[in-house]
Formats: sequence, structure tokens, C-alpha cells
Amino acid sequence: MTVLETERMVLRPPQAEDFEFLRPFAMSDRARFVGGGADKDEGHAWRILAILAGHWSLRGYGVFAMVERESGATLGSIGPWFPAGWPEQELSWTVWSTDAEGKGFAFEAVSRVRTHVFDDLGWPTAVSYIDPENARSIALAERLGAVLDADAPRPDEADLVYRHRRAA
Amino acid sequence: MIALTGIPTLETERLVLRPPASRDVDACITFYASERARFVGGPSAEHDAWVIMSRILGHWAMRGFGLWALTLKGDDTIRGVFGHWKPGTRPENEIGWSLWDPTLEGKGYAHEAALACRTHAYDVLGWKTAVSYIAYENDRSVALAKRLGAWEDPDAPRIEGKEHYVFRHPGPEALA
Repeated sequence: MTVLETERMVLRPPQAEDFEFLRPFAMSDRARFVGGGADKDEGHAWRILAILAGHWSLRGYGVFAMVERESGATLGSIGPWFPAGWPEQELSWTVWSTDAEGKGFAFEAVSRVRTHVFDDLGWPTAVSYIDPENARSIALAERLGAVLDADAPRPDEADLVYRHRRAA
Repeated sequence: MIALTGIPTLETERLVLRPPASRDVDACITFYASERARFVGGPSAEHDAWVIMSRILGHWAMRGFGLWALTLKGDDTIRGVFGHWKPGTRPENEIGWSLWDPTLEGKGYAHEAALACRTHAYDVLGWKTAVSYIAYENDRSVALAKRLGAWEDPDAPRIEGKEHYVFRHPGPEALA
């Protein structure tokens, strides 16, 4: 099992224990950009977690649960994402916990995982697909130094594509 | 890889039920693109079929049990998925099946596989009862449930938002 560490978090593959943290997020409108929403039920939330876990089995890599060392809480999911129909390998992130917003957790985790996809997985490049109304994710992509790629194919025509470059 | 090394393999006279794997994705996409998938959430586009396959594997990781890939002895090709299913907030543990390969119909393969899964549910997983949720009009699955000795249970809790029968299987004592 691949486990990555940052100063404040342990990043490990999703597990059943993450459900209590994912559930309230997936069933809220904060999840509207990533397939959840206030109109979704608990079964839908469970399926999201199962899919995150199953991606590891199908691809050999997948998103990590961001487990905060201090609290043991799972703050979100982050990492490589490449389901069928995706034009390119994506570096994705989702912050589940509102408490974790604005404290640099996502930046800290994405920075670590981006190094992982370039150095360990050997990806030549990575993109992040972001809904144009998802201002928080856009801000994070820009803080990470990713740049808009207007020509890149995208799963949904409305998505923005931010491209990450391997550090020189 | 996520810890799926613990998935057992079941063997029957003619069949091997093995862990599902990435090599099964194409067959899953083909099945879910077809009308045969209409009782199990299809037909679905490629991305959705991949997501379904991912969910099947994720169920193993989350629950420690799940659906196996049905194969014939001596041929690794996936022909369907059979096993144990309890996603999310489903009310009860289910013996679930989906025969993808139509050429296997009418030869007792599904019966043989479902029986092995039920035995495993009682003997290894320790289930005391099991149901099968079957869509209305899925006559073949209804026939299989009856052949397995299951009966329609009108009092069983249903899956919200879905129209389906609940077939209850004879329990471990009744089968002992």
C-alpha cells in the first residue's frame, strides 16, 4: 500500500473508515462539482467511496485519503485519477471538510502527490479538470503554478484544464 | 495496489469464481453497452461501465466481500459477476448475480455459481439470511431465485427508489 507523508497529513488509499467523513460532504452542495449534492442519498455517497477505492485495483494507483495526523480525521481525497473516458491522467483533489479550508491542507497534499505522480509514477505531465465556477479549486491550481491549457481535450466541454509541469 | 490480496477463489464442478481484475474491464464495457444490462442499471456508456467495475472492486475493499468474476474452468474469460453485495445503505445482505455471456444461459451455470456463493455466505461469512433483489420483468433471474429455493418476501425492506422483488433464500439451518 502506497502511503505518502506531509508535515500535517498521512496520505493513504481510501478505506471504509473514511465514509463517516465523506458522507456529509457528498450529500451536500459543496460536492456539486464532483458528482455529489444535497439531493443525493447515503447510498450515492457510499458508491463514490467504493469507486475511489476500486480505481486503485483497476489502475494500480488512485486518490489518497488526506488523514490529518493531529485529529485522525479524513479531510478529503487527492491524487491521480484516470477513469475510462478521461482524455488524460488527472491530478485531482476534493476537500471534504469545511474546517480544513483556508489552512493550506490541500496545497500541502497536492504538492506532495504531484511529486509522487511525476517521480514515482513517471507521468510526463498532469492536468486538473475544474468546473469554471469552482473558484477555490481554480485558486489552488494557480497557487500550484498550473497553467490554463485552452487546447487540451476535456471530459466535459465546460471544464477548465489546468496543466501541471514537472519541475525542471 | 489496495489490499485486495485477500479475495478468495471459489471452485465448483465446472466454474471458477475468481477476483475481478483490470483485465475484465473490456468485457464489462461490452456487457453494460448491451440490452442484457437493462436489469442491472444499464445500458451504460464506457465511462459508466468502468465506474461500475471500479465500484465492484471497491466493494471488496470496503466490505471484505463482494462479487467474483465468473469463469469456466480452464478459461479465464469473465462471463459474469456473482457473489455478495451490500453497498451503502442497502437494507440486507444480498446474493447477487449478473450473467454477462448469453451463451452460458440455460445450462445451469448460474445456478451452480449462485449456490456456491450462498454456501460461502453461510459457511464462511456467517450470514444468517440472504436476499436477492431482482428487477421486475427480469424473468430469468426470478426463475433462478425460485430454483434456488428462494421465495418472494413481501415484508422485507425494499431499496428506496427502485422497483424490484425481494427474494429470500432459505437460511443456513433450513439447508443444513
